[in-house]
Amino acid sequence: MSERLFGIETEYGILVEDRSAHDLMEESRLLVRAYAGTWAGPWDYRAEDPRADMRGYRVDALNYDREDAKYDRAGPSSHLSSEEQRSDRALTNGARLYNDHGHPEYSTPECRILADLVAHDRAGERIVLECARLRTEETGRQVQMFKNNTDFHAMSYGCHEGYLCDRRVPFEQLLWGMLPFLVTRSIYAGAGKSGVETNGPLSDACVYQLSQRADFFSEIASVDTLAKRPIFNTRDEPHADVHRYRRVHVICGDANLSEFATAMKVGTTAIALAMLEAGWEPLFRLRDPVAAIKIVSRDPSYRWILEMEDGRTMRATDIQRIYLADAQKLLGGSDPDTDWTLREWERLLNDLETDVWLTEDRVDWVAKRRLLETYIEAEGIWWEDPVIRSLDLEYHNVDPELGLFYALEQGGQMRRIVTDSQIEAALTQPPSDTRAALRGDLVRRFAPEIGRVSWGRVGFKRGSDLQWQELSPEDSARVPHLRGRLDAAKTVAEVLAGLSGPAVPGE
Amino acid sequence: MFPIKGEERIQRPAPTEPTTRPGDDSGPKAPNVKRPDPSDLLKRMRRVDPDQARRYRQRSGE
Repeated sequence: MSERLFGIETEYGILVEDRSAHDLMEESRLLVRAYAGTWAGPWDYRAEDPRADMRGYRVDALNYDREDAKYDRAGPSSHLSSEEQRSDRALTNGARLYNDHGHPEYSTPECRILADLVAHDRAGERIVLECARLRTEETGRQVQMFKNNTDFHAMSYGCHEGYLCDRRVPFEQLLWGMLPFLVTRSIYAGAGKSGVETNGPLSDACVYQLSQRADFFSEIASVDTLAKRPIFNTRDEPHADVHRYRRVHVICGDANLSEFATAMKVGTTAIALAMLEAGWEPLFRLRDPVAAIKIVSRDPSYRWILEMEDGRTMRATDIQRIYLADAQKLLGGSDPDTDWTLREWERLLNDLETDVWLTEDRVDWVAKRRLLETYIEAEGIWWEDPVIRSLDLEYHNVDPELGLFYALEQGGQMRRIVTDSQIEAALTQPPSDTRAALRGDLVRRFAPEIGRVSWGRVGFKRGSDLQWQELSPEDSARVPHLRGRLDAAKTVAEVLAGLSGPAVPGE
Repeated sequence: MFPIKGEERIQRPAPTEPTTRPGDDSGPKAPNVKRPDPSDLLKRMRRVDPDQARRYRQRSGE
């Protein structure tokens, strides 16, 4: 695991006093622009192509949500360019903050260590919260931020994961190898949701489900993300050498508040990918993955029985155990994060099979369900009471004085992965062992001289041109030495010479 | 790369004890878990605007 780059992109929900969904493009843009720290931009979108498909073609257009389009209307920022609308900020911690279609999005820097990723994911909560506080001060209207994935009115927004992966893994092996894992991992990675937002299996019996997102997937695989969402996203955008890498862009997961759930979600997915890179493949396929992801999410019995292509049935926990058991054999002893993940994965599955309540200190959907049931019993109300969805939403409020998850954490009820001081450091400091460290250092020292920035390169202003510094995943091993060279450089020219120069023997 | 086929262990009984290996305690750590006062949680939940979710409308995202 320690050689793989991974990251999390979270689109936050935003609630502004006396403003409606019509205003959120503008409110989100202004919130991002309230960021008071050092940043560089704009983003270099020429390095991105969301219409490129892993299957070897490029679609003419992406599907979009026609209901959502009704919110579009002329506003104070309608005349702005796409670049100004998005207002990208590359931060000193290597992260990216921008307005993604009415949602402030925080993308963590590339990480190689689970604790780094958790710290940076949680730093994102504090960064958007601080922006909200500044906007509240500026406007006098309360701005609240929610780390969730639905507005309960069938509008969903994502928390995506990115995993750099060996391009030699054939697409079909990747797809069919990941599908059973992705469909079933919500048993420990789901963030929980009261009610359902689309029809489908078990929808009538469901007052509370495991996943925020499962309702919104209608396809097995496609390049789309805004509508007709697929379980396996085929976007071919590695942000690195396209001949060497894929970036597996997981869009079917939930935004987790639990640090443990975040670490397990990413740790187990990285392990599943490592198995596929090693040539492993499961000897089973789900009969209907789209139905299965909803069954796992909605089954009130928590038995999660799924039909296989060959007519057999398997529990979600059995499917997860097959990945786990072979990972223990193939990858056990690889590195500390892999061993931690394997051990905790097994404990989680044991606990989920014994009694799901045993996992309430680690798993968001269980913790939230306990909270809601406590309230229902205390107040003598039903699951269908509208206050339940308000409490569900408040679980995800990232204000520590308001959020219900934070109440659990402050009470010591949720297991931690990192300390508050690690999160504090991640607000400004990048991970020390990936190319994000170089990006962050460059932003910290030379932000005014940067004309464009992206995951893979930084462009320095040179008259009317840009001079590019490439940032490669292979930089990871040399980051300490390259940062030393960067520290010694006084000017951009010295930086470019130092970072691009040949390796010194011994480095 | 080499082909490895996943084992079929559909009926395999679940382990009754978690796997632990000597010396594998590195990686992320968890603190001791203690119970909060449930009355504090209920106080915070009762402060939530019951109409909040009805007013919460978002743009569709990715």
